[in-house]
Amino acid sequence: MVCSERAGKGGVATMKKDDMKRVMQDWRVVVMVVAIVLALASIYLIPPAFDKGLQGNVQLGLDLEGGSWIQLEYQAELVTFETRENPELLVEGLTRELDAEVHLVEPDVVEIRKPFTRDELEPVFASLGATITQYEIGVSEETANTVKRILEEKINRLGTRDAKVNILTTFGGASRYIRVELAGVDMVTAQEIVGQQGRFDIRIQTVGEETEHVLYGDSITSVGLPTQQPPGSNQWGVSFTISPEGAQAFRESAIRTGATDNPAAHELMMLLDGEMVYSAPLSPDLAARLKVEDVRNLFASTGAGEFGQNRANILEIHLRAGALPVDVQIAGSGSVSAALGEHFKMMSIIAGFVALLTVGLVVYYRYREPTIVIPMLAINTAEIIILLGIARYFTQLDLAAIAGLIAVLGTSIDQLVVITDEVLHEGKVPSPNVYLKRLSRALGIIIVAAITMIIAMLPLALMDLSSLRGFAIITILGVLIGVVITRPAYGKIIMAILSR
Amino acid sequence: MGFDLYDLVNKYPSSQMMAIPLAIFAIALLVIGGNYMITGVPVNLGIDFAGGTAVTVLTDDSTDEIEAYFAAYPLISIGEGLNRGNYIRFGPMDDEQFRSLSRDIGARYPDAKVDQIGESFGQTLQQQALIALLFSFIGMSFVVFIAFRSVIPSVAVVFAGLADILVTAAIMNIIGLPLSLGTTAALLMLIGYSVDSDILLTTRVLKRQGKLEEKLKNAFRTGFIMTTTTLSAVTALLVVSWIGQIEIIMQIATVLLIGLLVDLIITWMFNAGLLKWYVQSGRAKGVLPR
Repeated sequence: MVCSERAGKGGVATMKKDDMKRVMQDWRVVVMVVAIVLALASIYLIPPAFDKGLQGNVQLGLDLEGGSWIQLEYQAELVTFETRENPELLVEGLTRELDAEVHLVEPDVVEIRKPFTRDELEPVFASLGATITQYEIGVSEETANTVKRILEEKINRLGTRDAKVNILTTFGGASRYIRVELAGVDMVTAQEIVGQQGRFDIRIQTVGEETEHVLYGDSITSVGLPTQQPPGSNQWGVSFTISPEGAQAFRESAIRTGATDNPAAHELMMLLDGEMVYSAPLSPDLAARLKVEDVRNLFASTGAGEFGQNRANILEIHLRAGALPVDVQIAGSGSVSAALGEHFKMMSIIAGFVALLTVGLVVYYRYREPTIVIPMLAINTAEIIILLGIARYFTQLDLAAIAGLIAVLGTSIDQLVVITDEVLHEGKVPSPNVYLKRLSRALGIIIVAAITMIIAMLPLALMDLSSLRGFAIITILGVLIGVVITRPAYGKIIMAILSR
Repeated sequence: MGFDLYDLVNKYPSSQMMAIPLAIFAIALLVIGGNYMITGVPVNLGIDFAGGTAVTVLTDDSTDEIEAYFAAYPLISIGEGLNRGNYIRFGPMDDEQFRSLSRDIGARYPDAKVDQIGESFGQTLQQQALIALLFSFIGMSFVVFIAFRSVIPSVAVVFAGLADILVTAAIMNIIGLPLSLGTTAALLMLIGYSVDSDILLTTRVLKRQGKLEEKLKNAFRTGFIMTTTTLSAVTALLVVSWIGQIEIIMQIATVLLIGLLVDLIITWMFNAGLLKWYVQSGRAKGVLPR
């Protein structure tokens, strides 16, 4: 009694031509066909991707493409405080007491660039007349962006072709992690790239094109953020401090070369790995000061307006020579070789086909009717095409996402079974009116189920739980596409087939 | 053929039907509680949450050879798959040791897949996964209550979701499958699947006209086919990922497979039994077709 209900006998071939035409003109079916065409276009045509093989424009994750990722955790914390004193004084006090770089990122939030626990900080804040209201490990958004720029700059300079740097933000707004993905790079190389610093060299022009070494990057003790000087003037630049020995060497060079007397003929140049990144004469004011004393606090001006600001941003990175403003630790990392990625890719495709085939067999065993099974499988395939076409704009396809894709395939078949059984009630195909009523009832069940699935997956899609985001996004998209596009179309098609 | 599989839902009184899943649920709670008492965590944590390193290599080397090669590192286990695949797990290490491990892996197994999670990152992932699970569950409960607008059927559906997750987690403990990012995702997905079949059952029984036995039988038929098709897709996934040593897909597929089987029992014994009692006791009068 496994299959008490049977639909009408006969193949698709006997279907009347105008029946076919009527189905094809139904809006539900039209929407689906348009969606398939658009999806195929966005996978292969926008932009053209004929050279990329089967995957087209679908972005593949590192585990399919081969490459490495490293996730870094900041050794810093954001502390929200309350105080009656001037916050600037608190920052000064903290810098002194903790022997750490401390920045005021908001009127009541400081960023401490050294690892401390809340318990360690509390007495220090108390001694400075402040109380901690919130403590979070991580850095401010601004600092996170600087770190991101530095890492990108560094990766670009090393000529790595396909790299992504993502900031991961927690609920509290602090950025605790930063993730670097490098396609086609093995783990050891990736660790070197992320850990390596460039060689920074400051030189001074002697005669004509000749230059002379003044100091190396290790003499730079700290680098400030891009600022306007004087404040509000829209004249940008970066301040930096050099060590006492550096300051001495700098003063000697400036006097010896004559830069203090004739600044314009003796520009100060900065080179990163032998490449010039900044060049400007000493300011008259600095030249005059250097004649009488060592100067440790310097300011490199970069010009006015947006142009000046951009240059200042880049110069800041260069001054740091690829060193990050905050210490980081490797929180997690991973790598997949290109060959293994290829193996996973192959296996994923096989898994997809085998799953589709198995589902087809099971459904066939149940209904014993190719005219039901074939549309079901066709709808399923259509759904996956549409899903990939949309997903390529949102997320990359990694192994977890592929598991999501195949799970969606399972849900999809589930729901096609609900529709088929709902309309086939009592083994008879009802009149169109009753049919549509039943179809909408079936869709009702499906919509509730779909909403639950989406709600269940939403937290994963919104959170940065590393590899699971793609999985959740694929599942949600798949369920949505099913409810909005493919299930209604299936309802219409199966009706036309069954009512022959 | 006198035996009708789908009529099983009508063969037994509701109290008997509900007793078995409730007993399973109780045992699951004991397993999880016992695990908590012994290890300090309700479910065993994989490297994603506890920290550690996992390495997948395709090699002809024997387990002993691999063990000898990595003797200097905190090796936890070596799992063998088909197709020369090996899944090697290490406990937490510091940055220095990990760098040296990376070099050693690169030297002997250049085609390996390596995943490493630090302990503190693992803890962050743990907290976030817990939040995700909670939000999913609360969200699901809301949707169910809004969809049915009556207490007993909604509570039954929510309970079924909870039971699916807990029983599956207990079975994971027993077979030694740790909680990882992949298995967490699969557990969340179970919430969706579980509700799928419950909603079908509840809608069919409460919102359709007709004899209760017929409705139950038809709902069971549809639900059974639904779940078995999904099961077959998941089984296919499990087999291929096992052959291909794709650890994350294998984990997801295993959990889904267990969860769907658990769901069959919970839905068609517990929920069906409860709904049968609910309708027979006359409490369902208020919930007529919309």
